[in-house]
Amino acid sequence: MSHDDKIDIRKLNIWFGENHVIRDVDLKIQANAVTAIMGPSGCGKSTMLRAFNRMNDVIKSSRTTGDIFIGEKNIYESNTNVYDLRRQVGMVFQKPNPLPKSIYENIAFGPKIHKMAKGKALDKIVEKSLSAAALWEEVKDRLNDSAFDLSGGQQQRLCIARALAVDPELILMDEPCSALDPAATAKIEQLIRTLSNDYTVVIVTHNMQQASRVSDYTVFLYLGKIIEQGETKAIFENPQHELTEQYITGEFG
Amino acid sequence: MKRLIDAGLEQLVSMLFRMGELAQKTVSLSIMNYIEGTHGHTQVKSLSETLSSMADPIEDTVFEIIARFQPVASDLRILKSYMKICYDFRRYGRYALDISQIYERIGGMGECDISFRKIIEDMGIETLNMVGASIQALKNHDAELAKTLSTMEKRVDELYCSYLDKLIETNTTTECTISSLLVVRYLERIADHATYIGESIVYLATGEKTTLR
Repeated sequence: MSHDDKIDIRKLNIWFGENHVIRDVDLKIQANAVTAIMGPSGCGKSTMLRAFNRMNDVIKSSRTTGDIFIGEKNIYESNTNVYDLRRQVGMVFQKPNPLPKSIYENIAFGPKIHKMAKGKALDKIVEKSLSAAALWEEVKDRLNDSAFDLSGGQQQRLCIARALAVDPELILMDEPCSALDPAATAKIEQLIRTLSNDYTVVIVTHNMQQASRVSDYTVFLYLGKIIEQGETKAIFENPQHELTEQYITGEFG
Repeated sequence: MKRLIDAGLEQLVSMLFRMGELAQKTVSLSIMNYIEGTHGHTQVKSLSETLSSMADPIEDTVFEIIARFQPVASDLRILKSYMKICYDFRRYGRYALDISQIYERIGGMGECDISFRKIIEDMGIETLNMVGASIQALKNHDAELAKTLSTMEKRVDELYCSYLDKLIETNTTTECTISSLLVVRYLERIADHATYIGESIVYLATGEKTTLR
């Protein structure tokens, strides 16, 4: 793996029961860049994303073969501590899912359980995380309010801040804007671009325009296989595979 | 199933093809008038103005499609190429008008030596062939035909250079040579725009960014 690669996926296969969802995927994901995984419903993109922090493990019928290296570590080795892994690999979901706690406690929760900080050091993590998620200015005077008092877009940025608070190396986003209005979507997209200065971001999206706006690299997945991958500009201007062309021009999907 | 964007693209194709046919007619009329020594400035001027007026609606349609459908891949390449080709057609019209104006202002090549006339005639015919090929390639999105414009353009360039060489060699500055010097320059520019169109067609059909000059 080169120094520029953050994730190295080798011969990844994932089954749910008899359903072979991911098929022989080899992929390298660039560090400090945004990689979008796109493809039609059921193509396995969320499953692939969830392989990066072993979230598929919680589904009893799932079976995974192959290797995924994050940095130098193969996360599918038997001695992997999945709790540490999930701290290292933050995740943001389709719908904002704040904890039923205050804004402050939502951010402080992760650092507390990982015993990363307390007192003023914890306050600093909260401020830093909310700032990084472009939310601090909007909530700094009401940190003790319930997270549910925030708008949908603010809640999603809160969830991103919560992921950042535990100092991850990688951030996974599964359709992070699908429940948001255009203004909130624009803010999240801007945030994703900013985050890529410091983090490796992998985003799953149905929205091709969003993939083309926010990502540096794009992976097109179809029926569990990678059909095409490359720089986003090239994929959206001159796709090399006919299936990619058909998908991004809306002929199917 | 037709996509929503397809209606817009079909409208655009129809507009650009109409413009292409008119551009070919305008250039053809202007060049043949010059070669045959026929007056036709009023008609060429009118056609050139019509061509100019057709460009704005095409640009508006391209922008509307971009704004409404956020096209990508071959759709995006078509829009980018059509915008450029629309400009090239406009230039066809403008140079056709320039040739026509030269004929009105200075006169034609009738008084030129036969050796000059031969070069101008050959260059005019070759340029017309290029215009025809560019429009045919556009209609079929034919990258192979578009690539043949490269060879044709080299031939026009050779004729242009041979005209200049002959002019220097004979050291003549008659009204005829002044008129035809300007005209061969315009023909050379029309041929350039035909190759630009060829490059746009190769790009829209294959994604390849190529230079045919």
